[in-house]
Amino acid sequence: MTKREFGMTSFFAKYGTITALILLFIVFSVMVPGFLNYSNFINILRQMSLLFILSVGFTMCLIVGELDLSFANVASLSSVIVAKLIVSGLNYLISITIALSIGASIGLLSGLLVTLIGISSLITTLAMGIIVSGITYMYTKGVSIYGHMPASFLQLGRGMIGSIPILVIIMFIVLIAAQIFVKQTRFGRYMQATGGNRTAALLAGVNVTAYKILGLVFSSLGAAFTGILLTSRLGAANPEGAAGFLMDGFATALLGQTVISVGRASPIGTFVGALLVGILNNGMTLLGVPYYVHDIAKGVIIILSVVVTSIHALKLERA
Amino acid sequence: MHVVEMLGISKQFPGVLALNNVDLALEEGEIHGLVGENGAGKSTLVKILTGVIKPTAGSILIYGSKIPKWDISEAYKYIGAVYQERELVPFFTGLQNLFLGFEVSKGSFLIEREMLSRANKLLGEYGIEVPLDIPVNELSPGQQQMVTILKILFRNPKVVIFDEPTAPLSLSEKESLYKLIRNLKSRGVTILYISHYISEVLDLCDRITVLRNGMKVTTVESSEVTENKLIELMIDKSIKEQYPKEYVEPGKIVFEARNVNFGKAGIHDISFTIRSGEVVGFAGLVGSGRTELARAIYLGKKLDHGEIYISGNKFIPRSSWHSIKNGIAMIPENRRTEGLILDMSVKENLTLPILKNLSNIGFLTETKINQVSERIRERLSIRCFSLRQMLRTLSGGNQQKVSVGKWFSGKAKVWIFDEPTQGIDVEAKREIYQIMGGLAKNGAAVWFISSDLKELVAMSDRIYVMRKGKIVSEHRKPFNETQILRQMLRGDES
Repeated sequence: MTKREFGMTSFFAKYGTITALILLFIVFSVMVPGFLNYSNFINILRQMSLLFILSVGFTMCLIVGELDLSFANVASLSSVIVAKLIVSGLNYLISITIALSIGASIGLLSGLLVTLIGISSLITTLAMGIIVSGITYMYTKGVSIYGHMPASFLQLGRGMIGSIPILVIIMFIVLIAAQIFVKQTRFGRYMQATGGNRTAALLAGVNVTAYKILGLVFSSLGAAFTGILLTSRLGAANPEGAAGFLMDGFATALLGQTVISVGRASPIGTFVGALLVGILNNGMTLLGVPYYVHDIAKGVIIILSVVVTSIHALKLERA
Repeated sequence: MHVVEMLGISKQFPGVLALNNVDLALEEGEIHGLVGENGAGKSTLVKILTGVIKPTAGSILIYGSKIPKWDISEAYKYIGAVYQERELVPFFTGLQNLFLGFEVSKGSFLIEREMLSRANKLLGEYGIEVPLDIPVNELSPGQQQMVTILKILFRNPKVVIFDEPTAPLSLSEKESLYKLIRNLKSRGVTILYISHYISEVLDLCDRITVLRNGMKVTTVESSEVTENKLIELMIDKSIKEQYPKEYVEPGKIVFEARNVNFGKAGIHDISFTIRSGEVVGFAGLVGSGRTELARAIYLGKKLDHGEIYISGNKFIPRSSWHSIKNGIAMIPENRRTEGLILDMSVKENLTLPILKNLSNIGFLTETKINQVSERIRERLSIRCFSLRQMLRTLSGGNQQKVSVGKWFSGKAKVWIFDEPTQGIDVEAKREIYQIMGGLAKNGAAVWFISSDLKELVAMSDRIYVMRKGKIVSEHRKPFNETQILRQMLRGDES
């Protein structure tokens, strides 16, 4: 297809999500006082960082062609585990390692069930999420966890380097690392091949079982890491702490799948998705729009950008 | 009287003129064949005829009068199309599928009895036998196709289009399809029949239209042409050698199986050898165990009994990557669903099996990837405008070359070709044969599975016939086709 023939309309149609992002940015810049300045921009990045780190893990799972419904519960569990261990006086680095290991093990278990027994990932991770949530309540007896946490741990979620929050720096490190892993390593290529066509990948000598499991492990690992950062940011943890991430995480990663080409998930795409959700939340908060309107607007924007992109893709297929 | 007439049809896609001033006239009650290589414009023409896409220029006439706005709903009144991908709801019964959208009901309640009697009447009328009371996904591909055809006949079309209808069918299913098509003709229904199987088209059709590069070459009476003449019309240059077979002196035994059993895959007591430079054919019906044997070895199914040797070294099947490491390459039967990742680029597909050699501590070295893929692209003359082009957008023949090409940079000694020429055009077929021949010449052992007996006989040095998971006979040159066929069907062990 030639660019000249379709011109700008084609660009906007092909990149519906990016178009939505640009439009939203312009509208908020004009309409919302206090939106267009450096400190608010940093604010947006800080607010979206946890969502992004969570969604990028889930993106890995989408890349190998599986779903994960347990990530929000895993994040909550990890959040309370790290809080309780640190409050009980354990070294925070060891606590973080333990929480990450537990997260990874949950993904590993889901992955084994999905690949070796052949239960669909949708059902497996739904059940796993429920179990994890039960364990979280058992572990905390349903109450929030407060107490003394060392300043160096709290720095992770609250600290700044210069005028940039550490959370934002962590987000960009995760983005770059994930993007390089997916696009420029053999393992990332194998994951994409596994998700693209399992049989063809297997016949080309890719250990598809291992990469499916890896995708689910990454998803849980991203969730566990998010839980840790959440605790560090709040200085406390509660068993429902990350529950709200389920919908936004899905929205972000699914929006991300429409950014570059429909159906191909990538970390950079998920970043654009998270940015869209982040700007939307921020702009509407500044406007003083009630929270329920946030949800409605978010849903509408997701549908619109996906619709525009899919219609365009469909047109190309028909042409 | 022409039922449908397409006049001066052109279709311009961005960058390609898919159809250039094509005329097609269908007479009432004729079976009209449409042939041409992949990319000749057959599917585009059909899509225009069924109103799925709009032509850039040209008009469509029904019984001589021009229809100003030809679209899907207009086409639906006159034309029914049987595509390869049948559009049925899998877990609905034949009857439910048949009446989908046209349910007979009283108030909100369906009248099952009325629908059944109407369906049976239709079955009787066309002499079709297909059970309508079980879910269609439990039917054979042929039976599913019959349900699709019934569904189309239900609305009394003037023209029925068959697009590669016989590809998934068994021998007897093909016969009943031909019978049905002739029956339709006798009732005055016009048939447009599209197929890669030239002999099939010659047998069945009254007239044949040949397309080439988006242009109509000619329309001929099928009684006036031969198979070779028709193929010549389809391709630019006449092919003297459709099967370019060169004799290669066989060398040492590269692959050997001794009493191999894969119980779960239904493979019993298999012994055979393939020498360096040899093309060894495997004949048999679908389900005779040819593909199953190759898969079991390649994918590393549990070997219950027997031994396998590659170049004299014992080989125990473990996994696909273990097989690749030991020099086996596999070009699977169905390239779109098993051989390729359609949403990945040409170079991503071409280098997938050898990424280990093209990366440095896990990081891909893009320059090497480009070099390797460019080399393969040149060697197999894969036609694509860029190595970054998505596989989905390549033609069937070029896709197949990618499916083969991804093994070219490795060190494969044993090449398993499973139905490598299915659904690709004559020219691309010849290129695949050349590739196989070239491999053998360079000392590879070629393991060639095919259901096209003609190509198997032409290209193989030896042929094993399989039936019900066993090798029933071995044939040497000169081959006796009838004997091989008889072995395939009955497997009389002498």
